[in-house]
Amino acid sequence: MHDLIVVEGVSKRYVTSSGPVDALRDVSLSVGTGEFCTLIGPSGCGKSTLLGILGGLVGADDGRVAIDGRPVDGPDPRRVATVFQDPGLFPWRTTLENVEFGLELQGMPAARRRRVATDLLGPLGLRDFAAKYPRELSGGMRQRVAIGRALAIDTPIVLMDEPFGALDEQTRVLMGEWLLEIWRRTRKTIVFVTHSLHEALALSTRVVIMTARPGRIKSVLELPMPYPRAMESPELVGLRAKLWSDIRDESLRAMQ
Amino acid sequence: MNKQIVLIRAVILIVTLGSWEIVGRTANPALYVPPSAAIPALGRLLTLHSYPDLLEHLLLTLREILVAYAMAIAAGLGAGFALGVNRLVGRAYGPILAALYAVPAVVWYPSLMLFFGLDAASKIAFGFLLGFFPITLAVLAGIRQVNPQLLVVARAFGADGVTAFRKVTLPAMLFTLVGGLRTGLALAVIGVIVGEVLGSKSGMGSLINHAYGLFRTPDYIALVVVTLILIVGSDAVAALLERRAQRWTE
Amino acid sequence: MPSPLCSSGARSDGPSDAATRACSRPPTGCGGLADPATVNETVRVRVVQLLSVAALLVAWEAVARAGWVDPLFVPAPSAVARALGRIGAAALAGLGETLLKAAIAYVLAVVIGVGGGILLGSVRPLRQAVNPFVIALYGMPKILVLPWIMLFLGFGATPAVVYATIHGVFPILVLVTGAVRDVDATLVTVARAFGARRWQLYWKVVLPAIVPTVLAGMRLGVVFCLLGVLVVEMFAGLRGMGYVLSSLANGFQAPELFAATALVSAASIVIVLSLDALNDRLSQWRGDLR
Repeated sequence: MHDLIVVEGVSKRYVTSSGPVDALRDVSLSVGTGEFCTLIGPSGCGKSTLLGILGGLVGADDGRVAIDGRPVDGPDPRRVATVFQDPGLFPWRTTLENVEFGLELQGMPAARRRRVATDLLGPLGLRDFAAKYPRELSGGMRQRVAIGRALAIDTPIVLMDEPFGALDEQTRVLMGEWLLEIWRRTRKTIVFVTHSLHEALALSTRVVIMTARPGRIKSVLELPMPYPRAMESPELVGLRAKLWSDIRDESLRAMQ
Repeated sequence: MNKQIVLIRAVILIVTLGSWEIVGRTANPALYVPPSAAIPALGRLLTLHSYPDLLEHLLLTLREILVAYAMAIAAGLGAGFALGVNRLVGRAYGPILAALYAVPAVVWYPSLMLFFGLDAASKIAFGFLLGFFPITLAVLAGIRQVNPQLLVVARAFGADGVTAFRKVTLPAMLFTLVGGLRTGLALAVIGVIVGEVLGSKSGMGSLINHAYGLFRTPDYIALVVVTLILIVGSDAVAALLERRAQRWTE
Repeated sequence: MPSPLCSSGARSDGPSDAATRACSRPPTGCGGLADPATVNETVRVRVVQLLSVAALLVAWEAVARAGWVDPLFVPAPSAVARALGRIGAAALAGLGETLLKAAIAYVLAVVIGVGGGILLGSVRPLRQAVNPFVIALYGMPKILVLPWIMLFLGFGATPAVVYATIHGVFPILVLVTGAVRDVDATLVTVARAFGARRWQLYWKVVLPAIVPTVLAGMRLGVVFCLLGVLVVEMFAGLRGMGYVLSSLANGFQAPELFAATALVSAASIVIVLSLDALNDRLSQWRGDLR
């Protein structure tokens, strides 16, 4: 399988008011085409930083990052789309206008933009909310708009930084199922950051576990099982236990 | 402090004062008084040579400001609480108050001069008028931003209306209130000075008017400097009190 | 649910800053949605307002007619109304003069204020360096430099326009600077992530984001510019409403003075309320947030 994303020996250090902080140290990782790869780890382990580096928003101090063979040196909206934990919808734009945003930046003509965006609203479950403003939408709906905005530019890779973090448990589970549907339909490569063990196991083809700060890759779990995942099956229960035992020490260390 | 910032500020000051000095020396001396000529004028003023009764005028202006401000506080607090505590009263008269605030205050001044004459009374009245609005509005805003949950908690612990007001509403709105008091002072000061400049026989504003009328430009600049010191001083005092209040509420 | 008077801001970096923030919106009732309780209340509010104004006018008229106040200083409302008829034309002419100068100053103030605000808001070292100067100038009673301006520019419309522009620039500049500085960082990150270039960041994120603040600043700017023109007219005896008012006062023509004052007040209120209505139309996406 062709490795779409290649990360080698990446390090990142931040200078804060209380001294330098190593967010990432010597991280190496690769993601194949069509994978659903989840990054999981304790708070502060650098997973959001790593995602920022992949998305070209943050520069790595060391190492190299390549997407589709090309080195990353800035945001590349033809190859990578990002969804953040804060949906970041523009409050003065309607749902439709928000979804169109990326296409607008790329200069797509208005009529075509409208069509692409409108077609997306169906799978997003937002067809009746096309003309609504973000303040009129619930948290889950807003995140769907943000995901729609990312899907609209039709990139091979979509990065998601804890997109469901601000939602309640029940909404999270439903959004996860919905996201799986979208992924299977669009065949994109997804890199997904989360805290949630459930999400990692229910959604991913591969789970990458990171250590506490300074973050590096602790272990990788392959999940070749078919979808939808039977979370109560002995196989998955066992994997959950393994995942937790890997993460637990790191979480404890992060809490100190 | 950041070197870049200091550099930019230095450049601004040098360019401003420098061009002022250059223009002052080369052009019409009645108008373009350079800083170097203004400083001796300041000296003459402070040693009471150019205006022997400077202190009287200064004290008069100060008195006017204090009286105007005291009245503004009293009326502002009264009106603010009256509007803020009763919901219907607040919603009825609040918009009227805000509409009046949309009128440039100086339109009232000729009426005040007609009624009170050219003496201190009209300046006090004008300063009062200017200072009254921000205080009232600050009281209203302060009351409105009190978290109603806090009052629920107080009631649950058995506090009656007055006690809840004293122990919850007042402290919670103190910060906004003090900000309004500070603004009120600044505006009362502006009101008094504008009143004096526009028409009065005494006070710092009248001296400024006098110097301007006689083309005594260096003296005019010196008077402006002294007045500015007065203003900055009063605002500094207010800022100090505001910081004190901040410490109490945090 | 009453909307807050002050747009919130815990920092206080100057007396005029608080005044700017505190009074950019009048307290209205709930926005938009009218449930039966609110409609009822609105009716009662209107009734109280109308009754109060009517009672005030009636009492005033009665007091004036009974001779308890000197008609030289406090004319009866009926006298004021008659005076309005007499001086109406002259007063309107003066008002027109004043409004014309104020309009020119206003355009200048908005252009300089918004442009300068965007510049200062975007370039951090420049903003931090210039900030103390701006605050100092903002808090200073500008009438202190009016004599100097008049020395330079003489009499006529020019000093009035210049002075009024200076007056109006500061609140707009301060507000816009703050708004540009405070644009939600997430929105900027999102735009960058989608490949926005610098000019696109300004055009598609910063400018739409600061529209409400620009409108609030423009609302303040109207009052400040008008004030500036009136002050110069009163100080220097220039043609315009300021001169009309001060000469009526000097002539002890109380009914005419009250009438003229009422006229210019009404004009000012109408202008500001129109701006508020415009603000509402353009801010639909904000809903109750003001």
